[in-house]
Amino acid sequence: MSFEPKIVGILCNWCSYAGADLAGTSRKKYAPNVRIVRVMCSGRVEPGFILKAFQKGADGVLVCG
Amino acid sequence: MASVRSNKNIELMTYSEVTDVSGYVGSFKVSVKQKPRYVDITKCTGCGTCQEKCPMKTDNAFDAGLGKRKAIYTPFPQAVPNVPVIDPAVCTFFLKGKCRACEKFCEAKAIDFNQKEKIAELEVGNIIITTGFDSFDPSVMVQFGYGQYDNVITGVQFERMSNASGPTDGKIMLKDGSPPQSVAILHCIGSRDKNYHQYCSRVCCMYSLKFAHLLREKVPEATVYQLYIDMRCAGSGYEEFYERIQEEGVNFIRGKAGEITDMAEAPEEQGKLMVIVEDTLVRRKRRLPVDMVVLSTALEPRADAESVAKTFSLSRKADGFFLEKHPKLDPVATTTDGVFIAGCCQGPKDIPDTVAQASAAAARVLSMISKGSVQIESATAVVDEELCSGCRICNDLCSYNAITFDEEKKVSHINEALCKGCGTCVAACPSGAITGRHFTTEQIMSEIEGVLV
Ligand SMILES: Cc1cc2nc3c(=O)[nH]c(=O)nc-3n(C[C@H](O)[C@H](O)[C@H](O)COP(=O)(O)OP(=O)(O)OC[C@H]3O[C@@H](n4cnc5c(N)ncnc54)[C@H](O)[C@@H]3O)c2cc1C
Ligand code: SF4
Ligand code: SF4
Repeated sequence: MSFEPKIVGILCNWCSYAGADLAGTSRKKYAPNVRIVRVMCSGRVEPGFILKAFQKGADGVLVCG
Repeated sequence: MASVRSNKNIELMTYSEVTDVSGYVGSFKVSVKQKPRYVDITKCTGCGTCQEKCPMKTDNAFDAGLGKRKAIYTPFPQAVPNVPVIDPAVCTFFLKGKCRACEKFCEAKAIDFNQKEKIAELEVGNIIITTGFDSFDPSVMVQFGYGQYDNVITGVQFERMSNASGPTDGKIMLKDGSPPQSVAILHCIGSRDKNYHQYCSRVCCMYSLKFAHLLREKVPEATVYQLYIDMRCAGSGYEEFYERIQEEGVNFIRGKAGEITDMAEAPEEQGKLMVIVEDTLVRRKRRLPVDMVVLSTALEPRADAESVAKTFSLSRKADGFFLEKHPKLDPVATTTDGVFIAGCCQGPKDIPDTVAQASAAAARVLSMISKGSVQIESATAVVDEELCSGCRICNDLCSYNAITFDEEKKVSHINEALCKGCGTCVAACPSGAITGRHFTTEQIMSEIEGVLV
């Protein structure tokens, strides 16, 4: 069995989240193992969010903004 | 425009530019630079004597280089207000300190060489931006010889030529003043072309058809060619107009011209401009001998779009036009509350679409004015005064200057009208005193847990 990492993507509402949305409306695929959490700005991200993700079993955390 | 000027509720500021905007929806502060026109607008009667007497001439930008104007001028006869302006770059008094002919002959004593630039400060609730477009300069496409051959002109030049009050009194003519025997109209110049603009400019198919119709009317003996990639005639009555022009005997050739040259290969080509094109419907290369070529050039973002975007906190799309809040559901609003866009500054469009957008933007503003209050986003940040230690860390972090410090209570305060809810302050507050509504720490933590189930 190949390794399928679980990645939590914490995405900014205006750029990367809008990009993920655009991928959807343009019928483009992105990897389903990126699980998205929307924030209004990457400035909202606290270190605690990232630690929480790892604690709950994430293999990687992607902060985009 | 004339009725706009005479409406007592509208203050029309011409020859003016917005230089600075601050504040927020319902309470913007706008600085407007009013350039000196050196003519007293309250005294001038618009008689035009000064323009007759002025000795200095230059190209009239409004006529796209086809006509001349004086140093004191109104750009076109219908200009509002009908008050001339002195161009200091051309006026001999400004250049050499002598002349003042306009001042001498003006019976109304309206000339005022001492006018200075003024800054007006306005308080407004909403802003609508309608700064329009620039026309693509085709001289970069050297294969078409614009600027090299006299009778290769742009759509805007043709427009001025066919205007009854334009530089040729509405006559379609070659540089030598004679009427053209044959004219080729080339579509999509700078549009639908990955080297320049990938988008379709939307209006050039229709204005090219209008030009063909005007030619049929004004120079009925001339042969008219339309060279198109494909015809885009979407709009009320537009396809019908296309059919009518076909019936008027205009030649439609499906193909984009590759080159325009004056090199004759046969006696009948002597003295002509040769338009070389692959006619893709008959799969043949053709050489069309014509007297005049009209380049239907693209509509592009204005050269100053970037600085206007900065002044009004707008974003721009990949093509350079201003970005709307949502392309389908909110096409006239922007991401800055209280700032709206309409017309070609948002993307190429014709007059009916421009009027529709402008009406929509006006209606949005009027609905806010009549309500007397504005609705703001609910996802804002709020400070719990009990928990705030007064450290002020958040004060300088806010990109929207929404946080102020209450010196009396020694706590920070967030202005909800300015707050965009980004949450930077929420993450930064060491006391945990700020809550980001709809994006609380508990909510985000639960979401992270939720996506990992
Ligand atoms: C050759 C040609 C022929 C056309 N023919 C037709 C036609 O027959 N029918 C049709 O429906 N459409 C036609 N169009 C399209 C039509 O021109 C546009 O739809 C229309 O002009 C768009 O209006 P607008 O107000 O958005 O922009 P514009 O007409 O460009 O007006 C913008 C205005 O804003 C001013 N401005 C810009 N920046 C600033 C600033 N920073 N501060 C203050 N003022 C500023 C400009 O000086 C200008 O007066 C044609 C276009 C071209 C190029
Ligand atoms: S400035 Fe004087 S001369 Fe010129 S148009 Fe106005 S009134 Fe006439
Ligand atoms: S409207 Fe017609 S001429 Fe203009 S870019 Fe689109 S297809 Fe080309």
